[in-house]
Amino acid sequence: MIKIENAVKSFKGQKAIENLTLEISQGEIFGLLGANGAGKSTTINMLLGFLSPDSGVVQIDHKNCSKDSKEVRKHIGYIPENVNLYPYLSGIENLDYFSRLAGLKYAKSELKDFLSSCGLQEEAHKKKVSTYSKGMRQKVGIAIAYAKKAKVYLLDEPASGLDPMASNELSQLLKKLASEGAAIVMASHDIFRVREVCHRIGILKQGKLLKEINSEDVSANELETLYLDFMKN
Amino acid sequence: MWSMIKNEWRLLIRNRVLLGVSVGFIGLLVLTIYLGNEESKEQSERYEKAKAHMCEQWESIKEMNPHGAAHYGTYVFKPNNSLSSLDEGVNNITGNVLRVEGHVQNEIVHSEASQSQVVSKFGKLKGSLILQYTVPLLLIFLAFQSISGEKQSGRLKLLLMQGTKPSKLIFSKALSVWLLGNLLLLITILAYALFIGSDMNSEIFTRTAFLALSYSLYYFVLTALTIYFSIRWSNSNVSLTTMLGIWIVWTIFLPNIIMSSVENWHKLPSREEFKTAMDDDRSQGLDGHNPEDERSKELEEQTLKKYGVDSVSQLPINFDGIVMQADEEYGNKVWDKHFGDLRKVLTKQKQSYQLGGIINPFISLQNMSMGFAGNDNLHHQEFLVQVEKYRRVFIKRLNDEHAYGGSKSGEWGWKADNAFFKSVEDFVYKPTPFAKVVSNYVMDLVLLLLWVLIACILLILGTKKMRVL
Repeated sequence: MIKIENAVKSFKGQKAIENLTLEISQGEIFGLLGANGAGKSTTINMLLGFLSPDSGVVQIDHKNCSKDSKEVRKHIGYIPENVNLYPYLSGIENLDYFSRLAGLKYAKSELKDFLSSCGLQEEAHKKKVSTYSKGMRQKVGIAIAYAKKAKVYLLDEPASGLDPMASNELSQLLKKLASEGAAIVMASHDIFRVREVCHRIGILKQGKLLKEINSEDVSANELETLYLDFMKN
Repeated sequence: MWSMIKNEWRLLIRNRVLLGVSVGFIGLLVLTIYLGNEESKEQSERYEKAKAHMCEQWESIKEMNPHGAAHYGTYVFKPNNSLSSLDEGVNNITGNVLRVEGHVQNEIVHSEASQSQVVSKFGKLKGSLILQYTVPLLLIFLAFQSISGEKQSGRLKLLLMQGTKPSKLIFSKALSVWLLGNLLLLITILAYALFIGSDMNSEIFTRTAFLALSYSLYYFVLTALTIYFSIRWSNSNVSLTTMLGIWIVWTIFLPNIIMSSVENWHKLPSREEFKTAMDDDRSQGLDGHNPEDERSKELEEQTLKKYGVDSVSQLPINFDGIVMQADEEYGNKVWDKHFGDLRKVLTKQKQSYQLGGIINPFISLQNMSMGFAGNDNLHHQEFLVQVEKYRRVFIKRLNDEHAYGGSKSGEWGWKADNAFFKSVEDFVYKPTPFAKVVSNYVMDLVLLLLWVLIACILLILGTKKMRVL
């Protein structure tokens, strides 16, 4: 579903991504671990089509992410670290508006179902987003992607700033989406959450993918030790 | 695009601060139009009263020598225009009373500004003050973070991820703010129509429609430019500062700078120079009150020949009236020459100032606003010309009565009766036809439309320059 092959991206001569190669299938959750500036966001922005690689291939569903960005984006759900919705609209109004932008018109009951499926309590549906917690906004963000019937979910630091309960709910939601066939890329600093949610984990440092690990093969503590070793060396 | 505009309006309505400011603006506009209209009505009443008083005074002359009556003269009042409640133009400073008498063309006096206790740089509180200075500020405040704000909040990515085209997003933002400006404009016009009630006619309707069109075009230029800077600068504060700078330059500095330059390029003579030149030329003519004057003698010979008599005393008419009229006609020629030159300079000044619209669309807006409201210098000059035409007819009637009314030469004590004075027609102001007004503002309209085109091009360029990261 997602294919990155020998991708290189530089900013003012400084390499942000160096020969990155990755393949992620449907139903798979891939975690990108790395410090600030490791290239996680650059990778996600290349997949979103907002950045073009200097060389190499970046594809989603066999389509070039930068050249066919319009087509590719139809199938992508993007959840940034802070999902900034329209604060004066309710959760259901935000979902309705963003869905309409994507050319999708849903009945109120369907919109409610999307929000509930993404874990937003019914009593919050009609409340203004300005009263929402970060976790609630993220659920609406995921509902927007879900309503779009996204095949690929790209999450940039989704768990940052979430309380443990909200973070756990997010993990369950991502697992549910993957079980429905979505390919998910999740960039994060949170080693334990990544280990818990992702099927495979890649460690990025200075734009290079240093290691790919099956999460089943390591415990959370082993992953942390491994990660810290890579960061130190 | 419509759903995006609808969403922007929904956000505006739900934002209590913005809603409060917008409602405040609507209230202020309606109040201003109401007060302006009340003042306008009051002025009209004063005008009618004064006119009736002068008419009564004139018609109550029982017996008087016609030439004495020419010196006695009358007063003509500049009628008030109901569109003054929207844009007063130059009326506040030009004066509105003109004395009409023989031998002299008086200057218009009694401007409102000369009788005011307070002098404001921006003039009186009229609809135009809010529509020209304050509403644009509101539009700038609403538009300055349209795109940069979306970018700073990270929502721009989400919007584009939903398949929104950048061009659609940019034009929707521009149109939603512009429509708010148009709503304020519409409310202003409706309030004006409501307050003037039955005074509304096709002439006023057409003028109001053109006035609204000029504001609408200017609001589009301003909104589009603000959106462009919101795209160009990723920091909202920079786009706001840039637009406020442009607003200050356009509305405060450039109009003054351009007007001063135009006045230097096409200089008007000073009051003293003008008066001296007029007096010099006037002294070359006949002296109506001096029978020894050479030109009077020439006229006397011609008149004696015409009537086949040898002396003025044998004439069946009063030769003094003929001399007086000849003197008037000479004076008229002098006035036509000097005021014609003055009007030529004023026309050149106006045309050069209009060209200022190339770099400043506010100039085009201001010109059209007072022009379509019928309160620009063009309408004022037109009024002065009509008064002068009336003065000539008025004085000629008196001189003719003096000459042919039944008196003989030298009978300065002869008097015309009340019936004659009642038969002298009163001054009737004929408003400048709207087609003539429009023809004077074609340049402003074209320049403003060019600015609209530039604004559209900038928005399209902005679409290409828009950076998400």
